[in-house]
Amino acid sequence: MKKCLKKFIALALMGASIVTCATGCSSDTADSVNNGGNEKTVIEYWHCNAENQGGLTVDELVKNFNENNDHIEVVAKYNPDMYKGLMQNLQAEAATGNYPAIVQIGWAFLDYFSNNFEYIEPQEAIDKYDTEDKDFLNNNFLPNILELAVNSDGNQVGIPYSLSTPVLYINKDILREAGLDENGPQTWEQVKEFADTVKEKTGKYGFYMQEPADFWAQQGIIESNGASMITKTDGKTEATFASEGGIEAMQLLSDMIKGGSALHVSWDEGCQSFIDGNCAMLYTTIARRASIQDSIQFDGITVKSPVWEGEERKVPAGGCFLAITAQDEEQIAAAWEFEKYLYSVEAMAAWTEGTGYVPPRKDVAEAENGLKNFLAENKMMNAAIEQMDNVVPWTAFPGDAGLQAEQMLLDMRDQILGGQISAEEGMKSTQDAINALLVSE
Amino acid sequence: MNGLDKKRSVIGYIFLVPSLVMFALFMFYPLFYTIYLSFFDWNMVKPVKEFVGLENYISVLGDPNTWKIFGNTFLYIVILLVFNFIMPYVLSFILSNIVKKGHGFYKSAFFLPSVISLVVGSILYVWILNPISGPIAIIAKYFGISMPFWSKTEGWVIAVLCIITTWKTFGYNFIIILAGVSGVSTEVIEAARLDNIPMWKIFKDIVVPMSSATGIYVFIITIVQGMQYVFTPIKVITQGGPNYASSNMIYMSYHEAFTLYSTGTSAAVSAMTMALFIILLMLEFKFVEKGVYYEN
Repeated sequence: MKKCLKKFIALALMGASIVTCATGCSSDTADSVNNGGNEKTVIEYWHCNAENQGGLTVDELVKNFNENNDHIEVVAKYNPDMYKGLMQNLQAEAATGNYPAIVQIGWAFLDYFSNNFEYIEPQEAIDKYDTEDKDFLNNNFLPNILELAVNSDGNQVGIPYSLSTPVLYINKDILREAGLDENGPQTWEQVKEFADTVKEKTGKYGFYMQEPADFWAQQGIIESNGASMITKTDGKTEATFASEGGIEAMQLLSDMIKGGSALHVSWDEGCQSFIDGNCAMLYTTIARRASIQDSIQFDGITVKSPVWEGEERKVPAGGCFLAITAQDEEQIAAAWEFEKYLYSVEAMAAWTEGTGYVPPRKDVAEAENGLKNFLAENKMMNAAIEQMDNVVPWTAFPGDAGLQAEQMLLDMRDQILGGQISAEEGMKSTQDAINALLVSE
Repeated sequence: MNGLDKKRSVIGYIFLVPSLVMFALFMFYPLFYTIYLSFFDWNMVKPVKEFVGLENYISVLGDPNTWKIFGNTFLYIVILLVFNFIMPYVLSFILSNIVKKGHGFYKSAFFLPSVISLVVGSILYVWILNPISGPIAIIAKYFGISMPFWSKTEGWVIAVLCIITTWKTFGYNFIIILAGVSGVSTEVIEAARLDNIPMWKIFKDIVVPMSSATGIYVFIITIVQGMQYVFTPIKVITQGGPNYASSNMIYMSYHEAFTLYSTGTSAAVSAMTMALFIILLMLEFKFVEKGVYYEN
């Protein structure tokens, strides 16, 4: 009998331990640690930078901050699967009532984030905790850059941090071989001519525009042709990309693919084709500069995103902004102090060198303690810095239907570039469908 | 029932408790919660879940893309049954009855990819099958063939994703079937050979029926894998594109939930997928299981 009892106890313990394992033990985040007698405020900084995507720079910046600060301890927390992954984790965390202090939010989630989460506007934090430097935002950022982090209700949700824009990468060797101007095309009309000539003279492909699961690069060519992805009137948002200019832009891409001078493949395949010298021009993000610069064997440069004849250049911003999600006073004050450090010239320069993003802040490019030397050595970066005045927000459709609207754009792109429908037909019907969706919200 | 028996059965139940707890936590609870969620409109953050009745099901069934994805799912299953069920079956018959040398080599060569992550495999294949500059494209060019831009072409995209999945699952299925086929007694096969029965007939009428217990297992897991394993290359390479041409039901439910945050729609798709599987299993039990030969 005794033996049996022992067995029973053992089993019960085993069962209990399994249950405990299964439910997982959630560790409480301490709000403060005792550090040599001084109470330090502990704040969490959530980012999406894997080790090969600037993660090392994040650690370096955080370490530097912690060493030089006697009352704040920052804990950097990496979130896999980019901004979407971070958003998912934030949702889970918010459900338990815990919020990190500072988070990176991808542009596409601007409205989604501000509609669903609690946050503090940067100016509000400055007014409360940094009264000596009230004009920090206006003094250090271009208005069109600050505008990027303004949501559809007009609130400044955060401050732009990681900024990337699309540029045109050029294989000078192929252009020379085809007898073209090796400085590359300036307009989209020329891009088509160049691509056609490359195809004709060398048999290689002329052009590839990135086609990942977002409409970012296509927004660049559409909006540069005088079209607007969305138009806001009286607080109402309407999709308006199927205007004459917009249709012309998508039709140009579709024609190039149909004519065989442009590629219609996945993003990785397209970049690979450019790198191994099978495609003369590549339209993709500046964030890929480092990997492209390191891999190419030919004479390569970047030029600013092409314009349309007589129109103004508009390049959408990629990357993220920083938002303060801390809830109590002490945490908010600490969050702002850390955030301000991240926007210092040195920290911004380190960020650009470590990631390839363009500094969102003014005066970093020219400063001696900023990027002056770096830019002299990495000329491919210049095109992106020069087009900073032309940065426009990455279109985010408002409300809960936003993500679905974005998906409809991708479906439309697949159909137009795949040649199943004409640009006009596809864009008009998608625009109607998106507007119907926005109205039903 | 005497005391001893009673005690034994109690102990038996206690032994079941840990696995029941695990099942309840990780199978039954999520299952019922999914069905529950399929009647609500929710985005995983909103504090309120809005009850919408059957609306999620109606909108899923009314969407032409859903039917396209049903078709894709079916196509994936059919192709993978050929690649991952019929081919390994034939191959293991050849290996156990016709080829006499190098069994160890074949076994490990076919099995090797099974231990490599499918994500790694997918990335590898994107490079190998790059239609412009991948090694296969270069060889094809040598013969004057140009590869289709498969990742953006309807039809081709499913075929290539199936090849990638096959690379991963073929070896495992092959080893399992080989065990079953090798278990068929050689006397029977030798006797048939003496009677000059052609090889394909031996395969069809002796080997397949006698190894059907293993066969049916591989048949079912191939269908399940056809749904699940394909998910990885879809996620890594195409994200369901171009225009849903490579999406399947599992990916659709992931996409709805974690790209569009439309939890209700996703749950409805999941519930329908589950219903489909239950029907398939019932059909299997009704028609196939009866003919299966279990040695013991």
